[in-house]
Amino acid sequence: MNSEKVLFSFFMILALTLNFGFFIGEMDEAQHHNVYELFAVIIVNLIATILKFGDRSRLGPMLLATSLVALVQLISAALVWTFAVHIQETGLTPDTVVLIVSLSGGAVLANIISVILLMIETTMLRR
Amino acid sequence: MMNNEEPEKQVTSEEVINPVISMIMSRMRAPLIILIVVYAISMLGMIMIPGVDDQGNPWRMSIFHAFYYVSFTATTIGFGEIPYALNDAQRLWVICTIYMTVIAWLYAIGNILGLVQDPVFKKARNENRFKNQVNKIHEQFYLVCGLGETGYEVVKALTNEHYRVVVIEQDPESLLENNIYDLREFVPCLIADASVPRNLELAGISRSNCNGVIGATASDETNLKIALSSKLLHPEGKVVCRSDLLSFEENMRSFNTDYVVNPYNTFADIFSMLLHTPSLHLIYDWLTGAPDSQITDEPLKLNYGRWILCSYGRFGKALYQKFLEHDVEVTILDSNEEAYKNFKQNNIDQVEDIIPTTGIDEKSLKKADIETAVGLIAGGSDDSNNLSTIMTARQMNPDIFVVARQNLRDNSELFKKVKADLVMQPREITARMIRVLFLNPMLCDFLKIANKQDDEWSNVVISRLSAVIGDSKPHIWTTEISPKETPAVFKAIAFGRNIKLECLTLDPLSSTHKLKCFPLLFERDGNFQIMPDDETTIEDGDRILFCGMREAMNSMNWTLKVMTSLNYVMNYENEPESYLLKALMRKKFKHGERRDTRR
Repeated sequence: MNSEKVLFSFFMILALTLNFGFFIGEMDEAQHHNVYELFAVIIVNLIATILKFGDRSRLGPMLLATSLVALVQLISAALVWTFAVHIQETGLTPDTVVLIVSLSGGAVLANIISVILLMIETTMLRR
Repeated sequence: MMNNEEPEKQVTSEEVINPVISMIMSRMRAPLIILIVVYAISMLGMIMIPGVDDQGNPWRMSIFHAFYYVSFTATTIGFGEIPYALNDAQRLWVICTIYMTVIAWLYAIGNILGLVQDPVFKKARNENRFKNQVNKIHEQFYLVCGLGETGYEVVKALTNEHYRVVVIEQDPESLLENNIYDLREFVPCLIADASVPRNLELAGISRSNCNGVIGATASDETNLKIALSSKLLHPEGKVVCRSDLLSFEENMRSFNTDYVVNPYNTFADIFSMLLHTPSLHLIYDWLTGAPDSQITDEPLKLNYGRWILCSYGRFGKALYQKFLEHDVEVTILDSNEEAYKNFKQNNIDQVEDIIPTTGIDEKSLKKADIETAVGLIAGGSDDSNNLSTIMTARQMNPDIFVVARQNLRDNSELFKKVKADLVMQPREITARMIRVLFLNPMLCDFLKIANKQDDEWSNVVISRLSAVIGDSKPHIWTTEISPKETPAVFKAIAFGRNIKLECLTLDPLSSTHKLKCFPLLFERDGNFQIMPDDETTIEDGDRILFCGMREAMNSMNWTLKVMTSLNYVMNYENEPESYLLKALMRKKFKHGERRDTRR
């Protein structure tokens, strides 16, 4: 068993599950989407991205690209949140919540692709 | 969190192709993850510990404020307790935060610095930079392997003519000795072993604009490998290699290396010129000398008589052949038994020519009757012995003509002081030869033909040369009549005009004056005409070797390339260049018709 491989897969799948947990719930309901969960998602995604740095495997560049997409989506969601609460001080209106949640939804898709690629790579290695 | 975005941007540029970036990324993985984790823990602590605002109400930091706070604390900027004064529990956590984050940052920075210092990383970075520099060369270029004395001379000559050059040299010390940054063109240089095909590949050997490869390293083996790789990787390119040993030379020739320059045989040819007629040697010296070298005006004075040749190695052998060809008496001194045996085997008829003695001391030179000899060649492979021979010989016979072989560049001062009439430096001779082969291959043909001419002919050439160039060094150039190189002349020939060689040597600024140059050799379909007649008519595909001042070459380019200049020197009326005038004057200038002269 390769401990590096375990860590790698762990963070990638955790990124997906946390992301999904934040995304699920009513689209415009602020109570269903916790800010700390978003924080955790971003941290775990960052770590997953960095773990893909310098990965020389054939699918390495693809994996990195999906992670970068997820990060861009999540960081924009965090920025929207910060804007709404701290800068414009309008608070979390349903409109903003919808925007934040849909952005994180995109990140979920990117993370799913990432995990699928990981599975493909694993099965290819087995052969 | 956004502070971690910077390294990610680099990721998007060709990760696998560029080893430098992938090296940075794989080395930075651990420090970046540690940094993120430490930031996350610090922020979580700041968020979770309850505090109070300025009115005394319970208050908790938001993620936004926590990120702000940790960011300025971790980078030791420290704006203070923002937005509200902290309580002691928060302060305790801030202490932990400060030490954790500062250590994490130090670790990350230390890692980057360590990577920059890493020799492997440095090598990867240099290679990468070199590759980019080579890729940026879009014009024709030459690849020079080995930046020793020979290599540097060649690079200098090529860059002087504004050719681009790429250099591979193994020894970083040579770069310090031979400064390539003062040359007229920028020369990319890779410090690597030229016998490794990958390095040649990096230097662009298989690129279509690589015109030729020059193997000028000190080792024959490396040169052989360079010739081989270049013939396999880029068969259309020209390869010139230096070789000291016969076996390597034969090997190189076996797979069609374009030229193998052997300094000993080359010098023997030069020496043969000198024996033939000293004036011819002077012509050779003028035409092939380095652009910045001093030239001598007087031919060397040589008396006919017996010569003494010290040491019968490869150099001595090559020279002995020339003595035989010119039927000049010679005495060979060599203490080496093998050389003695070798000589006896190969030259049964002239056994009495060799005396088995060192030739360094008075006694042995006396044996060879130095008092009656006209010339001495100190041709050993050891500079000290050569110098000693010359000094002793000079004492015994002050008028003797001395040819010295100088093996090491560092001994130049000593050879200057000993006042040898002719100094043979293998590296300088190789550089001359390569320079001629790459810049003006026709000059080789010229010298070959000139070797068959007599003394009188040489003197005429010398007087013509001095009339044109005075005291300065002549510049040599080759002109090929082709639509690309000489568009104006080509067009005029297509009109059916009769262009004489003389027209090209007229000044396009004032056609009553002649340019300071004259043609040396004229070639048409492989037939050569040495010192061609002014009345020779030029045709498409002709090649002409000119010699004269550099300014003359620049002026001649006007005549060759610009129609109005050509019309002027040939006394033709200008044809209209603009569309409007062309339309107006169509009646007068019908295309393809020969026009009248102005006169």
